[in-house]
Amino acid sequence: MLQCIFLLSDSGEVILEKQLTGHRVDRSICTWFWEQSISQPDSNFKVLPVIASPTHYLFQIVREGITFLACTQVEMPPLLGIEFLGRVADVLSDYLGGLNEDVIKDNFVIVYELLDEMIDNGFPLTTEPNILRDMIAPPNIVSKMLSVVTGNTSNVSETLPGATSSCVPWRTTQLKHTNNDVYVNLVEEMDTIINSDGALVKCEIFGVVEVNSHLSGIPDLTLSFANPSILNDVQFHPCVRFRPWESEQSLSFVPPDGLFKLMSYRVKKLRNYPIYVKPQMSSESGTCRLSVMVGIRNDPGKQVDSIVVQFRLPHCVSSANLTANHGTVNILADKTCSWSIGRIPKDKAPQMSGTLVLEEGVEQLHVKPTFQVGFKIMGVALSGLKINKLDLKNLPTPAHKGFRAQTEAGQYEVRS
Amino acid sequence: MAPPAQSHRSPSPSQPSGKGEVSDLKMQLRQLAGSRAPGTDDSKRDLFKKVISYMTIGIDVSSVFSEMVMCSATSDIILKKMCYLYVGNYAKYNPDLALLTINFLQRDCKDEDPMIRGLALRSLGSLRVPNLVEYLVGPLGSGLKDGNSYVRMVAAVGVLKLYHISVSTCIDADFPALLKHLMLNDPDAQVVANCLSALLEIWGLEASSSEEAARERETLISKPIIYYLLNRIKEFSEWAQCTVLELVSKYAPPDSNEIFDIMNLLEDRLQHANGAVVLATIKLFLQLTLSMTDVHQQVYERIKAPLLTLVSSGSPEQSYAVLSHLHLLVMRAPMWFASDYKHLYCQYNEPFYVKKMKLEMLTAVANESNTYEIVTELCEYAANVDIPIARESIRAVGKIALEQYDVNAIVDRLLQFLEMEKDYVTAETLVLVKDLLRKYPQWSHDCIAVIGNISSNNVQEPKAKAALIWMLGEYAQDMQDAPYALEGLIDDWDDETSPEVRLHLLTAVMKCFFRRPPETQKALGSALAAGLSDMHQDVHDRALFYYRLLQHNVSVANSVVNPTKQAVSVFADTQSSEIKDRIFDEFNSLSVLYQKPCYMFTDKEHQGPFAFSEELGNMSIGVDDQRVEANDEDHLLSTTRNEDSLPQQTQGSLLVSFDQTEPAHAQQTNSVIDDIFGLGLSSSPAPAPAPLLKLNAKAVLDPTTFQQKWRQLPVSTSQEVSISPQGVAAMTSAQALVRHMQLDSIHCIASGGQAPNFKLFFFAQKENEPSNFLVECIINLSTSKAQIKIKVDDETASQAFSALFQSALSTFGMT
Repeated sequence: MLQCIFLLSDSGEVILEKQLTGHRVDRSICTWFWEQSISQPDSNFKVLPVIASPTHYLFQIVREGITFLACTQVEMPPLLGIEFLGRVADVLSDYLGGLNEDVIKDNFVIVYELLDEMIDNGFPLTTEPNILRDMIAPPNIVSKMLSVVTGNTSNVSETLPGATSSCVPWRTTQLKHTNNDVYVNLVEEMDTIINSDGALVKCEIFGVVEVNSHLSGIPDLTLSFANPSILNDVQFHPCVRFRPWESEQSLSFVPPDGLFKLMSYRVKKLRNYPIYVKPQMSSESGTCRLSVMVGIRNDPGKQVDSIVVQFRLPHCVSSANLTANHGTVNILADKTCSWSIGRIPKDKAPQMSGTLVLEEGVEQLHVKPTFQVGFKIMGVALSGLKINKLDLKNLPTPAHKGFRAQTEAGQYEVRS
Repeated sequence: MAPPAQSHRSPSPSQPSGKGEVSDLKMQLRQLAGSRAPGTDDSKRDLFKKVISYMTIGIDVSSVFSEMVMCSATSDIILKKMCYLYVGNYAKYNPDLALLTINFLQRDCKDEDPMIRGLALRSLGSLRVPNLVEYLVGPLGSGLKDGNSYVRMVAAVGVLKLYHISVSTCIDADFPALLKHLMLNDPDAQVVANCLSALLEIWGLEASSSEEAARERETLISKPIIYYLLNRIKEFSEWAQCTVLELVSKYAPPDSNEIFDIMNLLEDRLQHANGAVVLATIKLFLQLTLSMTDVHQQVYERIKAPLLTLVSSGSPEQSYAVLSHLHLLVMRAPMWFASDYKHLYCQYNEPFYVKKMKLEMLTAVANESNTYEIVTELCEYAANVDIPIARESIRAVGKIALEQYDVNAIVDRLLQFLEMEKDYVTAETLVLVKDLLRKYPQWSHDCIAVIGNISSNNVQEPKAKAALIWMLGEYAQDMQDAPYALEGLIDDWDDETSPEVRLHLLTAVMKCFFRRPPETQKALGSALAAGLSDMHQDVHDRALFYYRLLQHNVSVANSVVNPTKQAVSVFADTQSSEIKDRIFDEFNSLSVLYQKPCYMFTDKEHQGPFAFSEELGNMSIGVDDQRVEANDEDHLLSTTRNEDSLPQQTQGSLLVSFDQTEPAHAQQTNSVIDDIFGLGLSSSPAPAPAPLLKLNAKAVLDPTTFQQKWRQLPVSTSQEVSISPQGVAAMTSAQALVRHMQLDSIHCIASGGQAPNFKLFFFAQKENEPSNFLVECIINLSTSKAQIKIKVDDETASQAFSALFQSALSTFGMT
């Protein structure tokens, strides 16, 4: 049971506070918390998401520079606190079109209203964005226009949302769209570790099936895959019916309106990875020659975009002189070296080379950097997951269907 | 709300700091209050917004309270909301002014619009002014019967708010009964969920004072209600599902069919997108199957994939919380995760605490089949840019080496670390090599060859230096220049800041002296001289001790510093299995993240519903080691003990032979010893001698009640006691012990198992009082140990009963 929620700015200032129970939590807890978090010098030593202060247990998540801090004094499931704060952040960002100090300060009345509906006396209530949207109108241009035209300036709808009494809690009963359409998007992230011998240690995909639905009435959808057996584990939005999945691995559901995550999944033990990085280092009397080659290893069949290779220079490197035959090399203040390649050119293999000057007294470089790779491939899901078909039932008018896929690098790292 | 110091903030138009703005606002509000001109609402809204924004940034705007209330007569819902918010914030500290708001809030509670009714009711409950509760009862009562579910939902939580303001008003109005009725009959799931949460808290808090509430609380975990909630589980919001699942985990299904029914019904919850639901389900599954070993293992298999998915999905904060739980499970059952070790590999970008947790897990799951891969992976981290992780991973390699039988390859790798010539790598490795040599002296040859090449000048960290010195002393005869290396270190005695290193240096030079006297004599002399004049007491004492020992008898001295050593087989574990079990019992709570059971960090007064107070004093006392000590001290202690407490045992204890069991007595003396030596095992004072406990010989308890009680009550005492050899011999079947315990009015309710393992559940009741004692007793004949867990209704009698039970157990087989 949460007792209080604070929103802190990136300088530790309290933007907003919402007391939830009779036990008032003093603001001084934020000062304590902030001192804890700035006393951690290295970004690697972030404050734990759940910590104990002298008086309260604190949950905190950071989203776009805003810290969401919740306090409790009783034992409770930690994920309840963290998940809830995450949901608050999602809803706010959805309502306000992004999160930052100014936008929260400009719209704090809406933020209060939302919090009021999302949690009462410490118990989370409604967190479904669709339902909240019915109770509290978002501050968008349309509603501003409407208020000018109709003279009704309230951003609270006059009636209660239908769904509070409907049997499908994530959907309102009377939805009407002039253009009925539904889009299914496979968004995948690839996590890979390639060790210093160039061997593939781990290659996994974490994927999400995103659905953007604008359908009238109460449509009933069935999505099936050509190869569901490759999925190792799946998680569903509450709207997915479990039995059809169990028997024939098809997703049968009544969608919420708008964009939502229908399912997330994991595919492990993949063999093919799109990009290789070949680092070579040789050090001699205080300097280290470094050369890094990057190229396509297993062609995904689509253009690989926005390739970036990053690594941290070891502490004992005093200066570095690195150039690339393609793309740009930047060395940031925190000794991160970032090489933006973009697309791999057809005529040459991108290579970065140069020397690292070691600190005085250090002859050989014994610390090996880890190269992190970023990329984006549109139009392909590298896990190989294929959508078979999407059936729409119970629709007043035929609807347009669309499918897309994309893969990005998640934690894609090559050790040297 | 007390305004914090604003001085550090530069004043900006939107953030006034002076009083001027507030009084300005007051003026403007007053002007608007009576106005009925068109457009008033818009200007009001702007002003309200300003007031709320001041309030939000921490400026005290309570002075405009009456103006705000005057302006609140409006039909504009957004104005109302802002006004409710304002009033809720300041009412508690301005109770007199709060009275002004009652009128309009009560009126709004009867509004046509259910939204306004709900909001007004919520605000009315949030005023939290004790002398206004009378105005709350009426609206709450009608709110609970409202036709709209939104209002009922708000009213249910409102009852809880009322309870916290005034317990008697809430109980007198019979609200709990109304809530229960609503919970069992309302068509709206959110109303049901809110009623449930409110009831859990109210009855949980009332249970200690009212027997009726305690009974009601028990009915919440009775079969009809649990089934009712389970059947509606899919209607509930994800958060309410967590509450229900938590409640169900307190329910003890009477037979395995029911367990399977529940698990089948809830299996799809493991696929839920909300991590909190998944973890609550996992907890339930683990709890349900605790007694069914096979199924319990299957549950581990089943939950692996969802846990790993949660770790890789979601935000870093979520994965951390899930990882903590995974960590707990991995530590508990390493072999089930042995094939999934690759999921535990560290990614470069992960925060330190995640990597550290993963390293611990990797160490735990390492077995014969995967050690090679795991150690290869760990060795990669040793060259990592991240120094703390490099250190941790070297330690992990060492831990694996200490666990495994085939250490050959690992030792080679450790020795390779020494060649990296990074000071922190060398330091960590030295400490490990020392531990390895203590466990596997047979490896000394390979290691010593490499260690001999390390110059002590390159080692600065005290722990590493001490380790190096220990090896120099221990293997002096194998290392060519050991005496000279030690001599060099002794020359720098004055620069050595760490007493630990100096202590080791003294011992090492002594050892070396007996092995290579001529070469070391000079070094020993200067070491003893330096030690005797050392400022540190321990160093001084040890030098003096060696000096006198040498004076007294050289060959005795040799046998003291160079005894034949036995290889260490197991290094002491840091966390007792008792504590780990308790954390496991508290799965899906903060305990897991802090890696401590909740009694170690939550205040008793703040523990939520269903959290029970604990006697700290009874926790995890290692009876075994201390019994020996206790026996040694017997003759000293018997005079200080209260003669009346357990006289027959005091006499017996003087005659106690070494392996005979007197656990009850041992525990008595333990506390005395602790007092004498100031061993703070318990933070609470030692329990007062309990009055003599009489048990009801004809006690009855039906199995269902037993199970319910067992599930609800906290463990009062948990101990491991030894069973006498006679007892082991007599333990041919569980029945033998059952009959024996019956002589002491301790009755068996369930028993099972075959030699050498038995599990029995006992109960007993106080004579003339319906106060129950429940015992779980797990006997392992091969180790002659019994694990006893006692749960009691009446905590004060716990000590006495524990003593009685143990004395009864200790006489088993004697007759």
